[in-house]
Amino acid sequence: MASSTQIPALEIDELTRDYPGVRAVDAVSFAIEPGTVHCLVGENGAGKSTLVKMITGALAPSAGSMRVNGKTHNPTNPQEARDNGIATLFQELHVVDELTVRENLTLGLEAKRFGFLIRSDLDDRVVKTLAAIEPSIDPAVRVSSLSVAQKQIVEIARAASSGASVIIMDEPTAALSEREVERLFEVIRRLKDNGVTVIYISHKLEEIFTLGDIVTVLRDGKHIATKPLVKVEGRPELIEMMIGRTVAHNYVPRPNPPGDVVLTARGLTNHLLKNVSFDIRKGEIVGFYGLVGAGKTEIARAIFAADSYDGEIIFKSQPVGHTPKDALAAGIALVPEERRTQGLFTAMSIRENIPVMNLPRMSKGGVFRADKEERAAHEFVSRLRIATDSIEKQTEKLSGGNQQKVVLAKCLFSQAELLLLDEPTRGVDVGAKTEIYDIIKSLADQDNTVAIFSSELEEVLGICDRIFLLYDGQLRAGIRNGDNVDTAQILDLVTGGSMQEDAA
Amino acid sequence: MTKSFAVTGFLKDYYIYLVLIVLVALLASANLDQFPLFERGNFLYKRNIINILRVSAPILVICGAFTLLMVSGYIDLSVGSAMSLSAVVYAMLALNGVPFLPAFALTVLVGVLLGAINGFLVVRMRITPVIATLITLSLYKGIALLLVEDGTSAIKSGGGLKMPGWFNSYGRSGALLDLPASVWVAIAVTLALIVIQKRGVLGKYAAATGGNPTAAKLSGIKTGRVVFGLYVLVGISAALAGIARSSFMSLGDPLSGDGMELTAILVVLLGGTAFSGGEGKVQRSFIGALIIMCLTIGMLTIVPAYTQTLVIGAALLLAAATNHLVSRKGGRK
Amino acid sequence: MTTLAVSPITARKHRRLSDQGFITVMVAVVAVLLFLLASVLVPNFFQLQNMINLVTNNWAVISLGVGVTFLLVSGNFDLSVGGNVALAGVLSVWLAQSTGGANTLSTGLGFPLPLALAGAMAGALAIGALNAFFVVRLGVPSIIVTLGTMMVARGLAQVITHGSQRNTNLPDGFGTLGNLTLFGTVKLPVVLMGMLLLVAVFIERRMLIGRVTYWVGANPVAATLSGIDRGRHVTRLYLFSAAIAGMVGILLASEFKSGFSNRGMLMEFDALVIALLGGVAIAGGFGSVIGMFFGAIILAVVTSAATGLVLSPDWQFILKAVAVFLAITAQTWALARRNR
Repeated sequence: MASSTQIPALEIDELTRDYPGVRAVDAVSFAIEPGTVHCLVGENGAGKSTLVKMITGALAPSAGSMRVNGKTHNPTNPQEARDNGIATLFQELHVVDELTVRENLTLGLEAKRFGFLIRSDLDDRVVKTLAAIEPSIDPAVRVSSLSVAQKQIVEIARAASSGASVIIMDEPTAALSEREVERLFEVIRRLKDNGVTVIYISHKLEEIFTLGDIVTVLRDGKHIATKPLVKVEGRPELIEMMIGRTVAHNYVPRPNPPGDVVLTARGLTNHLLKNVSFDIRKGEIVGFYGLVGAGKTEIARAIFAADSYDGEIIFKSQPVGHTPKDALAAGIALVPEERRTQGLFTAMSIRENIPVMNLPRMSKGGVFRADKEERAAHEFVSRLRIATDSIEKQTEKLSGGNQQKVVLAKCLFSQAELLLLDEPTRGVDVGAKTEIYDIIKSLADQDNTVAIFSSELEEVLGICDRIFLLYDGQLRAGIRNGDNVDTAQILDLVTGGSMQEDAA
Repeated sequence: MTKSFAVTGFLKDYYIYLVLIVLVALLASANLDQFPLFERGNFLYKRNIINILRVSAPILVICGAFTLLMVSGYIDLSVGSAMSLSAVVYAMLALNGVPFLPAFALTVLVGVLLGAINGFLVVRMRITPVIATLITLSLYKGIALLLVEDGTSAIKSGGGLKMPGWFNSYGRSGALLDLPASVWVAIAVTLALIVIQKRGVLGKYAAATGGNPTAAKLSGIKTGRVVFGLYVLVGISAALAGIARSSFMSLGDPLSGDGMELTAILVVLLGGTAFSGGEGKVQRSFIGALIIMCLTIGMLTIVPAYTQTLVIGAALLLAAATNHLVSRKGGRK
Repeated sequence: MTTLAVSPITARKHRRLSDQGFITVMVAVVAVLLFLLASVLVPNFFQLQNMINLVTNNWAVISLGVGVTFLLVSGNFDLSVGGNVALAGVLSVWLAQSTGGANTLSTGLGFPLPLALAGAMAGALAIGALNAFFVVRLGVPSIIVTLGTMMVARGLAQVITHGSQRNTNLPDGFGTLGNLTLFGTVKLPVVLMGMLLLVAVFIERRMLIGRVTYWVGANPVAATLSGIDRGRHVTRLYLFSAAIAGMVGILLASEFKSGFSNRGMLMEFDALVIALLGGVAIAGGFGSVIGMFFGAIILAVVTSAATGLVLSPDWQFILKAVAVFLAITAQTWALARRNR
């Protein structure tokens, strides 16, 4: 570790956070030197976001302590964290489009007299800060006319000028073009020169090596290492630290051979996807694996005709159509990424949720088949083992795993031949996870086709027959699952590495 | 795409002024002899302009505060009822011998109270703005009707009481440049609100609250207080409108504000304020109000009065649709 | 209520009433309690005829409430119904009036009566289509759109009647529909309202489109991703509401043998008020026609009791305001407690 004569900008000591049944962050300790770019890496579920939430006051630790510049840091809300000099750059932008850059920079900090804004050194200071990190942005223009990258820089300037000593950036490059990323890096370097500490979280390892001074690796909630990047021997070492020696994968090749091609996608291109083409065969379980922002959800939504795209998607020799209704009629169903806002009718009961994706089956001359609905509810509650005392239970009150099973039941009831599952086990407990995998396998055994869109490597390695690897909107490779799969190579590809892989 | 954006951007900023100029030019070229409101043939004859302005004083005084409220992403459907109630209260005070200044101040205070009730329902009770202000629309209207004695339709001279002489001079007699005080108050309020929108904390926070509430809260802005303050501001402007109207008509009519909420929405939308919040300028709403008043009054010279509702309704739909099409942000299907 | 959907397949013990059913029962209980209270306080209130009048005097608003309730459940306002009542009534009169009257207002287009009524319905449906176009196609908030169409509809009525009314030169049969009595004393419009309520409850509880309305209102995004054509459904609901308004307008015009441009004034407001009193949530996905009906009873009891207590009719506005405020706070409070 670097010499520690200085007081660390942020010191984390035995920090722990428990969720029911899970220890998300397990006695993590490390220190962050002032004026460095400190990268935080780890797989999904390694505990990065929980750790960040504790630092920014969004979550309270179960145990442990933190110090900022030597002073105890124990924020109970984001405001307190900011008061202690910790600013966060969220993925969702927090600028007001309708105000000018300068107005945004001073928002909430204005000097005022009798209800009117008055000029103060603050105005000059924010403009100077902005000019120091990005002179090309005119402080007088409205934020709505800026690009996403420029808006981000405005937020950074705002944090810097409000006296933040630590700025946390969570996947800041997800929506940026290559040139914009370079600009952002210049900004970060300038911040560093001004003594600001940056905690940088990214899945793109290339960025870590280009930008970072020190890297901290988390795995399964535990602290694995904190070391200067110059002492890390390239991507392989970093990847090895991230995934450990072994990734549990108990994939068993399924007995029935895949059938004919049922779905063909050619040249899918939209705001994120870049010329993505693939085939899916009948009876297969295929996985789309990639990290945040790689384009998984976009592919799923394109197949389901929920987003527009260029290129073509052919399902059973027919184009899919233009609306989710068309896709559903063709035999495709989607379990969306956000189950509470996109999948469930949370105010309604289990019974009332299940029939929605198969309306023709539910109506006889326009009359709703309440008997069928009830039968279906009972059937799915027992078949998917949804833990509830009644089919009348409001889905709002179910656990995450059971909510997901209800969404799954909706899709199964549609009798779709191709199921698209976007992050099917996110926020689901271990028991329910296994059950969901069993359901998926039995579906494929019955000659249904399943596509899983996941950012968990263990998930796709455990269950998928073939895996498509995505990075930055591109399909980098397609591999057949089996014993000879090289997880390090997979991680390399989805983090932007360029090793070649045989197509499946 | 970008080029057409630049063009629409320019149109968005300035079309409203062009519309007013064209409209006035059209009206100026029309022959207005038959219509009693206009004393001489030309629309631009001084007395005609004065007439239009003093009839328009209520909407002119309301549109500024209403704009700021809509910029913050909220709405007030009770503004017409608040105006009626204020008109009745003001007339009652005057009729019962309260001198001008105290009567004026007390009525404005009533406006503060009415706005504060709206703010309380929306901010503290967390009732949806549309419903909360529909409740007070009914409430204020009911109170205004109850204040007027059964069997009479308005507060006016009679039964031994007589309206003092000053009562209608506020809204009728020329105070300066032959324009009555009510018009000058409307202009002053609008100018003040333009300054507040440009330089005031309230103006900036209103835009932030409407534009990105999360960002506003994260920046430490107490958005609840901003919204409450804006409701009070609308309440005050409704009271001023009530004073102007009752003074112009020489009576306190409990129905005089009916439909004002629609006119206010129309005028503000016409001025380019987005109903999604964040966007909008006081001065453009003011111009919008002038357009609507010229249009409705000017129209009376060509077509009968009973076409007004239709025209205002159609204009409202048109303004809402144009606004939407112009301000629509690109994105996913 | 969900209990209607019980099937004999499973015996269900300790079945908990849904929130929906709970609120409906609560509204009904409040309606009954208020009625009893009024019976004690107000002289001559507790009479059979008075009870009947509570419903029959409000047939128009209750009918409009059906369409408004469906739209609110789907997450949309419809404030155009009052104006649409005026438009349909005026249209039916204008189209039916014979040609060649003494002046403009007594001269119509001389259509045969059925055609005139069909024309009036078409006019009302056109307003509904306009609502759907602006809300569904252009995505303008429904509150603004229907405030606009409210004025357009009433404005058209005013243009046709020159701001007043048309009541001369009508064919003989014109007054039949609105004044026909069935079963001795019950007016046809009241019977139609009863039938409409039954049909509406059946649609809401038993038909697919009823359930789709709840899905669309409860979570529009999930509904679209579940393959529901939201736009088409909302369009249907606006047309349904407009059709009811058209019918009410025609019946009222027939009852008074006149097309009056101010008819139905504030009816859109009353229809919204009774829906809110009946527990319909403007956030969408929650509410029922039965609840709306009891909401109408509450309002009728309160206003007629107020009249019985010799309060000036001007009190109605304040009473409505207070009732809606109490209904909304009570509902929020009751559901929060229940689901704690």
